[in-house]
Amino acid sequence: MSNTAVLELTDLWKTIKGKEIVKGVNLTLYPSQIFGFLGPNGAGKTTTIRMIVGLIKPTKGSVTICGHSVAHDFVKALSNVGCIIESPDMYKYLTGMENLLQFAAMDKTISQQRIKDVVEMVGLQHRVNDKVSTYSLGMRQRLGIAQAIMSKPKLLILDEPTNGLDPAGMTEFRNLIRKLAYEEGMTVFVSSHLLLEIQQMCDVVSIIKQGSVIKTINVQDILHDDRIEWQVDDPENAIALLKKHWNIEAVQLKKNTISANLSQNPLDKINELFIREGIALTYCSTKQNTLEDLFLDLTEGDEIV
Amino acid sequence: MKLFSLIENEVIKMIAKKRLMFVLAILIVLISVFAYGQNQTLIRTKAQLSQRLGITATNDWRKLAGQQLIDMKNRLDSPYMDQKSQASTRVRMEQLQYNLDNNINPLEQSAAKFTTKFMEQSIFLFLPLLIIMLAADMVSGESSSGTIKLLLVRNVPRWKILLSKYLTLIILEVMVVIFAFVLSALISGFFFGFGGWLAPVATGFKVLAGKLDSSSVLNVPQWQYSLMVYSLAFFVSFVVGSISLMISILVKSTAASIGIIMSTLVAGNFISYFLSDWKITRYMFMVNLRLTDYLSGSFQPIEGMNMIFSITVLLGWAIAAVVISFVYFTKQDILA
Repeated sequence: MSNTAVLELTDLWKTIKGKEIVKGVNLTLYPSQIFGFLGPNGAGKTTTIRMIVGLIKPTKGSVTICGHSVAHDFVKALSNVGCIIESPDMYKYLTGMENLLQFAAMDKTISQQRIKDVVEMVGLQHRVNDKVSTYSLGMRQRLGIAQAIMSKPKLLILDEPTNGLDPAGMTEFRNLIRKLAYEEGMTVFVSSHLLLEIQQMCDVVSIIKQGSVIKTINVQDILHDDRIEWQVDDPENAIALLKKHWNIEAVQLKKNTISANLSQNPLDKINELFIREGIALTYCSTKQNTLEDLFLDLTEGDEIV
Repeated sequence: MKLFSLIENEVIKMIAKKRLMFVLAILIVLISVFAYGQNQTLIRTKAQLSQRLGITATNDWRKLAGQQLIDMKNRLDSPYMDQKSQASTRVRMEQLQYNLDNNINPLEQSAAKFTTKFMEQSIFLFLPLLIIMLAADMVSGESSSGTIKLLLVRNVPRWKILLSKYLTLIILEVMVVIFAFVLSALISGFFFGFGGWLAPVATGFKVLAGKLDSSSVLNVPQWQYSLMVYSLAFFVSFVVGSISLMISILVKSTAASIGIIMSTLVAGNFISYFLSDWKITRYMFMVNLRLTDYLSGSFQPIEGMNMIFSITVLLGWAIAAVVISFVYFTKQDILA
């Protein structure tokens, strides 16, 4: 297993000034996976990411990238990584191209052609020779992605990557990430507070709270888990009927609203039954489970943005 | 070979930041002002001489020097003179006597003399300030702008990143010292003529226990003396640069790191006057920067200090700064 893993975190701990920021995080990422890392502010996301790329040394535990330990074999481990940590800070007094050349000079595997390709990939070809100080946040974000993918890393780490992108830019960015993951075979590690972003982009999501990963889930699983909401005049009776005829556990949400997971049961038959039993059905709709529901559920309504 | 690319990167950044240009501009302005001022002083002195004594400085300088010698001798007899100024007066008398004996006109200015004098006056404050301008934000600038994160997540070990910065700094120090030399030789040449490089200079006067020791006096040509002065200037740049870089690593803000090192330097200039009895001050790097004064023998900040002592102290500071820099830089957590 560990041979194929792109990233492996084993019992990762970090204590800063006596405060436990990260408490025993375990994670394994496989090739071509888009992984989402979700958590409220101060949950330890950025600290975890900084430990992955070696900016911070773990108090305990280890980070292994493509089989190389970051602590013991930093150069080999980091050869497989491209990243943006928090904001895409570039040298503002250099042009976009000069910035890219700075980082290309640090890795001899990057060719001139690759730099050109990457600039086009992120759509910066018209502004790349302007000083970064004249860039908007969105453009700096694109430049940040360009420097991160330049070396064709196996693992791409993006900390809050869609900050400052407009809606069109976000869609474009999402497509780019998918392309990188599925065509270039990169494993992408995205941390974000934008739940919808993660939901639309990622295959697997881990939710971190107060330094521990509290749940790791497959995004497809939650999305297919459809729920139905009914508005009826006699909710107790409706719940009893659902239990009796279809063995469905329903819950009462509001005064007249009940909700249940149908799991393959026919909605039309259920509604027919309700009407036959004299229940006044005023409203019925399917409601897709979102990551947000789960997230809020798990983090108990903590501030997330 | 990667190290070379890293150094190239650092140089590109330094040029793009326009730091080097700024340092050069300051040098040009200051040298021009200094040379102009020297020239004015020279003209005025000559005018005064011919007015008061009826002599011309170029022809009758021996008469003037003789007068000055008598003046200084009288001053030495004064009971109010302290030991330190007695010693330096003795050195000046000895130099003047030497000039008389060897027929060297001390009033004559030349590009060579100016170039030497400029660095003798710059070595303890002006030159270090220029070096601080280059060194103080090399690391703290990257910390405060966040670019340090991009630099340290490459497949390059941290020590190599710092080594490239350190070597770049040394290259820049060499350039600043060379520029200072070339610019002052060129600019002052327009005022005083470009010659004077072969004129003899007396060096090696020593003060031992308040007494002048002229047993080791050497007669060297001006160019050689100049070369010694500028070599010492490079050494001072290297020491100040190493300490600045260390502070730049320890303090994450550029403003704070410039503030710390500048105030330390300025403090050093009066520490030697106010606290000269306090022995420990002699181990501070900033009171040991006037290395060129040991060459002429004109100044001794604190009794018992000499060239070897100062160089050893400065070298100690530089080595400590480099060790602390590398240990801290490779171990620190980048949190911001």
